[in-house]
Amino acid sequence: MSLNRYESQVREPLVEGSKDYHQITEDICRPVEATPSKLWWVGFIISVGLLIFGVVSIYMDVTYGIGQWNLNKTVGWGWDITNFVWWVGIGHAGTLISAILLLFRQGWRTGVNRAAEAMTIFAVMCAGQFPIWHMGRVWNAFFVAPYPNTRGPLWVNFNSPLLWDVFAISTYFTVSLLFWYCGLLPDLASLRDRAKLKWRKFFYGVASFGWTGSTKHWQRHEALSLVLAGLATPLVLSVHTIVSFDFATSVIPGWHTTIFPPYFVAGAVFSGFAMVQTLLLITRKVLNLEEYITMEHIDVMNKVIVLTGSIVGIAYLTELFIAWYSHVEYEWFAFRENRVNLNSPYGWAYYLMMGCNVLSPQIFWFRKMRRNLLVTFFMSILVNIGMWFERFVIIVTSIYRDYLPSSWSTYYTPTIWEIGFYMGTFGLFFTCYFLFSKFFPVIAMAEIKHILKRSGDSFKENMEKDENETLESFEHANAHH
Amino acid sequence: MSNKYWQGFGELNDSEKFQKRVDDEFRDELPFEDFDSKGLLDAKAPRRDFLKYLGFSTAAATLAASCKTQVREAIPYGNKPDNLVPGEAKYYATTYTQGGDAVPVIAKVRDGRPIKIEGNDYLSASNGGTSARVQASVLDLYDMHRLRFPQRKAGSKFEESMYDILDKAIAAELAGAGSVVLLTSTINSPSTLDIIAKNPKIRLVQYDAVSYNGILLANEASGFGRKVPTYKFDQASVIVSLGADFLGTWLNSEENAAGYARGRKIDEKNPVMSKHYQFESFLSMTGSNADERFTHRPSQTGAVALALLAAVGGGVAAPAITDSKLNAGIIKVANELKTAAGKALVVSGSNDANVQIIVNAINNAIGAYGTTIDWSRADQSRKGTDREFSDLLTQMESGQVDVLLIHEANPVYDHFAGKRFASALAKVRTTVSFGYRMDETTELCKYILPSPHYLESWGDAEPKTGVYSFIQPTIFPLFKTRPFQTSLLKWSGSAEDYDTYVKNYWLQKAGGEAAYHKALENGVIEEAASGSGSYSGAAVAAAATAIAAHPAGGKDELVLYEKVSIGPGYGAVNPWLQELPDAVSKANWGSYALISIPKAKELGIVTDVDYEYYPDKPVIKISDGKTTIEVPILVTPGMNANTIAVAVGYGRGAKLGRTAAGVGVNTFPFASMPGDGSGIRYFVSNVTVSNTGRKDKVAQTQIHNSYEGRVEVVRETTLATYRQKPNEILDFRNKLVETYAKSTGNFRKEATLYGDHEKPGIKWGMNIDMNACTGCSACVVACHAENNVPVVGKSEVLRYHDMHWLRIDRYFVSDEKDPDNLKGVVFQPMLCQHCDNAPCENVCPVAATNHSTEGINQMAYNRCIGTRYCANNCPFKVRRFNWADYTGADSFPNNQDQKLVGVLDPVVHQMNDAVSRMVLNPDVTVRSRGVMEKCSFCIQRLQHAKLDAKKENRPLKDGEAKTACQQACSTNAIVFGDARDEHSAISQVRLNNPQRLFYSLEQLHVLPNVSYFSKIRNTDEIIGGNEHEAAGGHDEEHGAKEPAAEKHEEAAHH
Repeated sequence: MSLNRYESQVREPLVEGSKDYHQITEDICRPVEATPSKLWWVGFIISVGLLIFGVVSIYMDVTYGIGQWNLNKTVGWGWDITNFVWWVGIGHAGTLISAILLLFRQGWRTGVNRAAEAMTIFAVMCAGQFPIWHMGRVWNAFFVAPYPNTRGPLWVNFNSPLLWDVFAISTYFTVSLLFWYCGLLPDLASLRDRAKLKWRKFFYGVASFGWTGSTKHWQRHEALSLVLAGLATPLVLSVHTIVSFDFATSVIPGWHTTIFPPYFVAGAVFSGFAMVQTLLLITRKVLNLEEYITMEHIDVMNKVIVLTGSIVGIAYLTELFIAWYSHVEYEWFAFRENRVNLNSPYGWAYYLMMGCNVLSPQIFWFRKMRRNLLVTFFMSILVNIGMWFERFVIIVTSIYRDYLPSSWSTYYTPTIWEIGFYMGTFGLFFTCYFLFSKFFPVIAMAEIKHILKRSGDSFKENMEKDENETLESFEHANAHH
Repeated sequence: MSNKYWQGFGELNDSEKFQKRVDDEFRDELPFEDFDSKGLLDAKAPRRDFLKYLGFSTAAATLAASCKTQVREAIPYGNKPDNLVPGEAKYYATTYTQGGDAVPVIAKVRDGRPIKIEGNDYLSASNGGTSARVQASVLDLYDMHRLRFPQRKAGSKFEESMYDILDKAIAAELAGAGSVVLLTSTINSPSTLDIIAKNPKIRLVQYDAVSYNGILLANEASGFGRKVPTYKFDQASVIVSLGADFLGTWLNSEENAAGYARGRKIDEKNPVMSKHYQFESFLSMTGSNADERFTHRPSQTGAVALALLAAVGGGVAAPAITDSKLNAGIIKVANELKTAAGKALVVSGSNDANVQIIVNAINNAIGAYGTTIDWSRADQSRKGTDREFSDLLTQMESGQVDVLLIHEANPVYDHFAGKRFASALAKVRTTVSFGYRMDETTELCKYILPSPHYLESWGDAEPKTGVYSFIQPTIFPLFKTRPFQTSLLKWSGSAEDYDTYVKNYWLQKAGGEAAYHKALENGVIEEAASGSGSYSGAAVAAAATAIAAHPAGGKDELVLYEKVSIGPGYGAVNPWLQELPDAVSKANWGSYALISIPKAKELGIVTDVDYEYYPDKPVIKISDGKTTIEVPILVTPGMNANTIAVAVGYGRGAKLGRTAAGVGVNTFPFASMPGDGSGIRYFVSNVTVSNTGRKDKVAQTQIHNSYEGRVEVVRETTLATYRQKPNEILDFRNKLVETYAKSTGNFRKEATLYGDHEKPGIKWGMNIDMNACTGCSACVVACHAENNVPVVGKSEVLRYHDMHWLRIDRYFVSDEKDPDNLKGVVFQPMLCQHCDNAPCENVCPVAATNHSTEGINQMAYNRCIGTRYCANNCPFKVRRFNWADYTGADSFPNNQDQKLVGVLDPVVHQMNDAVSRMVLNPDVTVRSRGVMEKCSFCIQRLQHAKLDAKKENRPLKDGEAKTACQQACSTNAIVFGDARDEHSAISQVRLNNPQRLFYSLEQLHVLPNVSYFSKIRNTDEIIGGNEHEAAGGHDEEHGAKEPAAEKHEEAAHH
C-alpha cells in the first residue's frame, strides 16, 4: 500500500454507493415519475380513511358542541390541547434540521431536510386543527384576528397566551412553508425538465416559478435560503416557548412553572427527531433511498434524541425538586399526589412518560443500538408515545385536582370523537405525506449534490487500478501502435 | 279578393319582419338567442343582464339559505292595560302553599308572567327567607305535564270533559251518597275551612305525606291540645335535636333557620354562640350544622329520649344503652340542658307520640315552655293524624265510603299502604281528584277537576294562629283549571265561585275594602299573639313504659328521610329541584343509600380511587321481608354504623312527566304503623342488606369530601380555639402583606404588573358568613331561576357538566386517624369571586371576559368563542361551559338529537318546551351552546337599582340592589353592597369582624371581591398547631396587627 493511498476514515461518506450527479437525479426522481406502488395505495387509502374519520368527528363536535368530548367543568382541556402541543412539538425537527443545521453548516442534513421540513409543515397543519376546532363557537374563530372592526373597534386581548399562540404558530407555519418551498424550486425545475407528460410539464412548470438555473437564480436562491434560515432559527425556539406560556403564565399548580420554555423546546426537538426517524426509516426502505439516508444519518439523529431526552429528563426532575423545595403546598400536591403517586388516578401516565422519555432513550448511549434499525424504529415510536403523555400529564393531571378539593374531577377518558379527531390528524398528516412523497422529491436533489465529493471519490476508486497496473499493461493499453 | 290595409311600406312589403318588430316593441328579449346555433358557452349576455341575473340569483340563494332560523312571533298587546309598562316588573304579595306549608312570598311578574319568587319580609318571623322548594315553585306553574282540562274516566282512559257536565254528574252522585269524604293535605286556609264547615255532609280527613302525628298527639296528651307550637331557636343557647331536620325539612324550616342563625352569628368582641347537639342515626343536613353529634340506631330513638329525660331528672328509669359514647353524650347534654334551663330547647323528629311525650317532659324539665317554646302562635302546617287516615282506609275497604274527593293528597304513592289504598279506591263509588298532575292517586280516580297553581289562584292561609297570608293570582290561569273550593261551592248549590267567596269573606273579616286591599298589598295580617299552654306530665309514665317495650333492632336498620329538594316527593317533578345537589351527599337525580364506613367494609365495598373517581357505585339490596329495593350506595362518615338511610320522594309514576319518571325508587313502602297506633314509623328496625356486586351510577356534583387541610380555601375552627387564637386568620393575612408587599405594604397594588386603574364609584362586594349558612340551598335554586341557568339532566351531571353558577361546597372534617369520627361539616357557598386581579380575564384571547369599574368580572357572551382557558385558569372552578345546546338558543337546527355521545335527558327537552320557557327571566340572556357563563352578581338587578336611583336623581341606597342568592337566604348569611361606601352593610360587617374575615385563596393574589367569615363550631376542642404562639399575649399582637389588616381593605375604600 503506498503512502498516497492512506486516508483517515473520520467520517463515513454522506452518500453511499459512489453516485454521480445523474444517478442522484435518477434515484430521487424515480419514485416521483414511476406509477405508485401497491403499498403506496394501501397506505394512502388508510390515511384518507383516517382523515374522513377525523372530519366526521369534527362535524359532530361542531354540530352538537364540545359535549361530544368528555371534558368537564374541571378538566377544560384534555386530548385536544394535548394533541395540539404534541403535533407542534413534532413540527420542530424539520425547521431545526434545515435552518439551524444550515447555519451550522452540517452537511448531513441534506439527506433528510426535505422530508423533515415537509413533516414539519404537515405537523403544524395538524396542530393547528386543535385550537381551532376545540372552540365552543368555531364559526367566530376570526375574533382572534386583530383587525379593525365595527365593534368599537374591539381588539383582541394582547395579554392572553392563546393569542400569542395564534401569532407564533401562524408565523412559524408561514416561514417554514416558504423555506421548504424555496428549497423545492430547483428540484421542481428538474422534474419539469424531465417530464414526458403534458400535465406534468404544466404542473411542475407552474410550481417551479420559471426556474432556469441561471447563476442569478442560484445566487438569489442561496441568499433567500440563508435569510429564511436566519428567520426560522429563532422561531424554532420561540414557538414552543410561547406554547409553554399557555401553561406557565397560568395560576394552576403544575402549570405555573418558569422552567417550561426550555423544557418544552427540548421536548419538542426530542419528539420531532423521533418522528423524523419513524418516517425516514419507512421512506428510505420503501423508496429505496438507503444510500442517501444512511446509517450515519440515523446514528446522528439518535444522538440528538439521547441528548434532548436527557435534557427533558433533567427538566422533569428539576420541576419535581422545585415543587418540593418551593414549599408551595398546592404545587407539591400536584406533583406528589397527582403524578408521582402511582395509586392516584393518573399516576400510571406519569410513569409511562418517565419510562418512555427519560429511561428508554438512554439505550442510545450505545453505538450498536443507535445503528440498529429495529431498535431505532421502536424507540422512535416509544418516544412519541412518551411525549404525548408528557403533555397529557402536564395538562390533565394539573387541572383535574387543583385548588378547591370540592371541584376535583371525575375520571376523564376520551370519547370516540376525541379519539377520532386525533386519528383524523394522523390521516391528514399521512395523506399529505403520501402525496408529498409521490409528487415531490423527498430528498433535496440540488442540495445533496453540493455535498457530493464526486471527483475525489472517483479518483480514489480508480487509483487502485492505476497503482496495480503494470507498466507493460499500461503501455499496452495506452500506447498507440 | 280581399282588401289589404297597410300603414307603411314596412308593413306592406316585409310583413314578417315588421310583425316581429311590432311584437317586440316593448319587450326585452332574453339575451340567449344564440343557444341553438352556438351552444350555451358561447352565448353572449349583455353586461347589465348579467348583473341583473347575478344579483337576483345571489339574493335568492341568500334568502333560501339564510332563513332557516325559526321565527318566533311575539304578539303585542292590542289594548295595553293601563297599569302595565312593558319591561317593568310588578310585584305581588301572595302565598306559597304546598302540603300544608304556607310561606308568604312576593311574586315578580314580568309582562304578565310570574318569573321569580321572593320571601315576604313583611312577616316578622320568617325574615323574608325562602326554601329551595319555594324558590322552585314558579317552575311548577309552567310544567308542561300539568293537567290542562277536566276529564272523566271512560273505560281505562280519561277523556276530556267540561265543568258543567262534570258538575251535574258529580252533584247527582253526591245527592245519593251516604258518606262523602274530602281527603286533603293539611288545610290552613280559613275560608276553605269555612266552606267545608258549611257542608256538613263532607267529612274532612287531613293527611300529611310525612306525618307529624306524633307531635300532635303528644301535645294533646301533655295538655296543650292537638297543636304544634312555635319553636324559638333564637332564644335557645342550647339546642338539642333528636333526629329533627329542623333546618331542612322539619316544620317551618325557613323560620327555624332564621332563628337558629341569629344564635349562631358571632360578635367578635364577645364570641358566644348557641350550642347545637344532634342525636341522629344518619348524617342529616341539620346534623351537619351541629356542634356535636351522637349517633344511634333508629330503633333507639325512644331510648335516647328516655335516657335524656332520666338524666335531666325527669323521674323515669333510664333504659340500658350499651354505646358508651352515646351514653356519655346523653349525660353531657343533660347537664348542659340543666345549666341552660330556660334557654334550652329540645326538638324531636320522631313521629312516635310516646317519644314526643318524653320530649315534652324534657322540655318541661328544662323550662322550655314559655321561653323557647311559644304556644301563643300554633303552627298550623301539619294537622293530619295517622289514625284518621287508617280509619278511612278501613272504611273504604269495607265499602262505607261513597264519594271520595281528593285534594293535594297522594296516598297511593306516599303512604306505606299505598297499594291497599289503590285497591280500596276501586271500592269507592265516586272518586274525584283535584289533582295538579296525573299523579299516582289521580290516575285511579273517576273524575279529575284539575286545580290551579297558587300563582293563578285567589286564596288565603293561616300558617300560624293569628297570622294570615293571602294568595292572589299573578297570571290568568294557563289551563282549564278550577279551584277545588269552587267545586265544593258549586256542588253544595252555591252560585258563588271561590274567588268571590274569599273576597267577601275577607271584606267582612278585615273590615272594609281599604283594609282588605291593604292586607292584599302587604300579603299578611298578623293579629296579636294569644293563647298559652300548661304542661301536664300525666302521660309520661305510660309513654316511658311503651318505649321500654320497643323491640330492639336487628343487625341492620333502615331510616327514611326527606331531602330538602324533593321533600315527600313534591320536588321530584321540578327540574330545578331534581338538579339541586343534596347538601350532604352532593348528589342529585336519583335514589342512593347512605351507609357508614364500617358497613361498607363489612359489605366488601372498597372505597378506593375507582370508587371516588367513577360515578359507578356498588349497588346494595335492602329488604325488610315485604319490600325490597336495590340502590347504589354513598359511603358517608358520621353515620350510625348499622343504619342505612334512603330518601323518600323518588320512584314516581310514569305519568308525572319527563322529570320525575324513572328517577330513583320509592321507599315509602318501608314505613309501617306500629300496633299501638302511636304513629307511622319512618324506619325499619330490622333489614337485611347485601351487596349485589352490580354497580350503578350516582350523579354527584362534588366527589371529594375533605378540604385536605387547605386552610387558605376554607377556614373553620372551634370556638375554644378561636377564643385562644383569635388572630389566626389575621396573622396569616398580615404575613401575606409582609411576603408579597414588603416594600409598599400595599397588598392590592403589588398584585399586578399592569398597574391599578382609578375606578371611582361603586365597588360591589359580598360577604358570606359560614356560621350562618346551613346548606339549605335556597340560594342555588334562586340563582337558577334568576339567571336562566340551564338544567342539564342526570346524564350530563354524571359527566360533570352541571351548570350551577352558585354551588355549596361541602367538606367533612374528620379525625385524622378515624375518618368515621366526623367532627363537623363545612358548607361554603362558592360562586364567582369577582377577582380584581382575575386569572380568567387575562387569558381570554378575545377579551370576552373582563372587569367592570365596579369590580364585577363580566362575561360578554356574544364575544366568547369558547376556548375554556378561563375555566381552566379559575382557581375557584366556578365557570360553567355550555357543552351542548341545553337551552335551544343555538342557531343550528336539530342539534339536540345527538345519539352516540352526550345524549340529552328528556328533562332538557322539557325545559325547552314553549310553556317551560315562560319562566325565563327576560332580563338575562339565555346562553347558547359553546359559550362560558358564570355568576354575574345578578348584574341585571344592580343595573335596575342604579337606573331607578338615577331616574330619581339620587345616589344608590345601601340594600337597594340585592343579589338573588342574598334575597333567598333565610339566615342572612349573605351580605352584599357597595364596599366603597363606608356606611354600607358590607363595609361594616367586614370592618367589624376582622378576626373571622378571610378571602378564599388570598395568597394567589387574585383579589377576590367575595369574602367569607370563618366557620366556628361550638366545641371545647383546641385544634392543634402553634401552641407557643397562642400562649404569647394576643392582646399586644392584636393591637399591633390591626392596622395591617386595613391595608387589605384600603384600596376598597380609597
